[in-house]
Amino acid sequence: MAERKSLIKIKPKRYKDGEIVKVSFMVMHPMDTGMGKDKKTKKIIPAKYINSVKFVYNGKEITHMNVWESLSVNPVFTIYMKVNGKGKLVVTYTDNTGEVHEKSKKIKPRG
Amino acid sequence: MQRRDFFKKLGTATAIAAVVPTMSFAAGDSKPTGPNKMDYQTALNAITGGKTPVKSDKVKLKTPEIAENGAVVPVTVTVDSPMTPSNYVKAIHILNGKNSNARCIDVFLTPANGKAMFSTRIKLGGTQNVTAVVELSDGTFLIASQSVKVTIGGCG
Amino acid sequence: MKTGIKIALSVAMLASLSFGGEQFAMSDADRAMYAEMSENNPADIMVADGEELLGYMGGDEGLAKYLGVSEDDLPTYIAGFPRYIKKFDMVVGIDQMIQAMMADGGHKPLKLKSGNMFSLLAYVKSIANGEKINIDVNANPQMKEAYALGEKTFMTKRGGRGLSCNSCHSPDVVGRVLRTQPLPDLGANGAKAAATWPAYRMTKSSLRTMQRRFQGCMKNALLKVIPIGSKEMVALEVYLTDKAKGSEISIPGLKR
Repeated sequence: MAERKSLIKIKPKRYKDGEIVKVSFMVMHPMDTGMGKDKKTKKIIPAKYINSVKFVYNGKEITHMNVWESLSVNPVFTIYMKVNGKGKLVVTYTDNTGEVHEKSKKIKPRG
Repeated sequence: MQRRDFFKKLGTATAIAAVVPTMSFAAGDSKPTGPNKMDYQTALNAITGGKTPVKSDKVKLKTPEIAENGAVVPVTVTVDSPMTPSNYVKAIHILNGKNSNARCIDVFLTPANGKAMFSTRIKLGGTQNVTAVVELSDGTFLIASQSVKVTIGGCG
Repeated sequence: MKTGIKIALSVAMLASLSFGGEQFAMSDADRAMYAEMSENNPADIMVADGEELLGYMGGDEGLAKYLGVSEDDLPTYIAGFPRYIKKFDMVVGIDQMIQAMMADGGHKPLKLKSGNMFSLLAYVKSIANGEKINIDVNANPQMKEAYALGEKTFMTKRGGRGLSCNSCHSPDVVGRVLRTQPLPDLGANGAKAAATWPAYRMTKSSLRTMQRRFQGCMKNALLKVIPIGSKEMVALEVYLTDKAKGSEISIPGLKR
């Protein structure tokens, strides 16, 4: 499978236990609708878009999403999350071609 | 390090994160699969189960009146909610009015979010409405809508 | 005769520009929404990629060593590019220094127009984030010459419509809107463009560098496209970087 890069950003960078932080998941993905044509070959580019995203924090699902092709290329998903102890946030997406990608970030509240 | 090795390294380094085992998804999760066609009214009914959503200023839909670029239209939905186990926002749905598939995304929240907000960027094929449908934990649906003008901007 | 037509065309083009505030101009609130998006710039992923790539060549430390400065001085030094480098007897951009570093390290250098090079350039320039652009176009005769060539490249009318960079980016057209976009004033001192490239271009869904943007602009205005890294292109970057002197570097930018 082709490389796929992603990033999880937490704002603010320093946070305390119990604080509500902004979490953004960014990923490089073509989000092809299946309706666009290749400019050179004139052939239709097959649909390839993220169809599901999950945010799991210390084993507990906090948010999941059903996604359709109308999201922008290289999409961004931003939610809030209440920090509840040290641990790990795991974001997973699948796309309509069966590609699965996982990205995780340590959650380290201070004070 | 030889030239070839350098490029091998470039290649492998970028491929590491790609493959992980498939996860099992919760039952009742209907994941979209192919190119889809769905008009706005059908999409709305599918979400609310035929209930009429109520216009509410508790739902703040933030999206530009004129989009700089139809391919990247920022959308942020914020809902005024305590997000407690007994009273929280269950889902935020974003719909478009005129793309061939009216559904953009369904976001299922939990009290663990702390605040009810979702932000993303969507594609709009032309000037149309963007709509946020919000489902509360008591089963009521709220709605907010805004028209977005899409123009062809600037050079290149 | 031919010149007559050319002039008529460029006048017609200018006439089709409308002033800001008219119907299709975006509101400040709309613009603010787009500005907010830079908080989550997709190009952040490419910058992280560039950092990883530089890692194979010794990272920041290796780069500082190659450039002959201390790691502490690296951000300030990067904020002064393009520079005259005696070793090559040329005025070069940082991307060319990265190429040279690859070659000297025994690697096949990446092409200047490759995606990996764009990522590397974006990362390396982002090392200077928060620094102010400190290019010195009077540092030596070579820089003076590059500045003059850059100005000439900016001002020379050429191509099918007889347009120069200055035709659309001079103080005369500031505030005018071309299809919802206010034309950025690149010709005046205080123009900040150079501080925000490389940037993510939403229209192209990819990371673009300043020289790559020049190429896109030239192509659309029917000017023959100048190659990235050529003497003229680097000179143009020198000229416009000088216009942004003193501006705080903030990479990656986010552009329409």
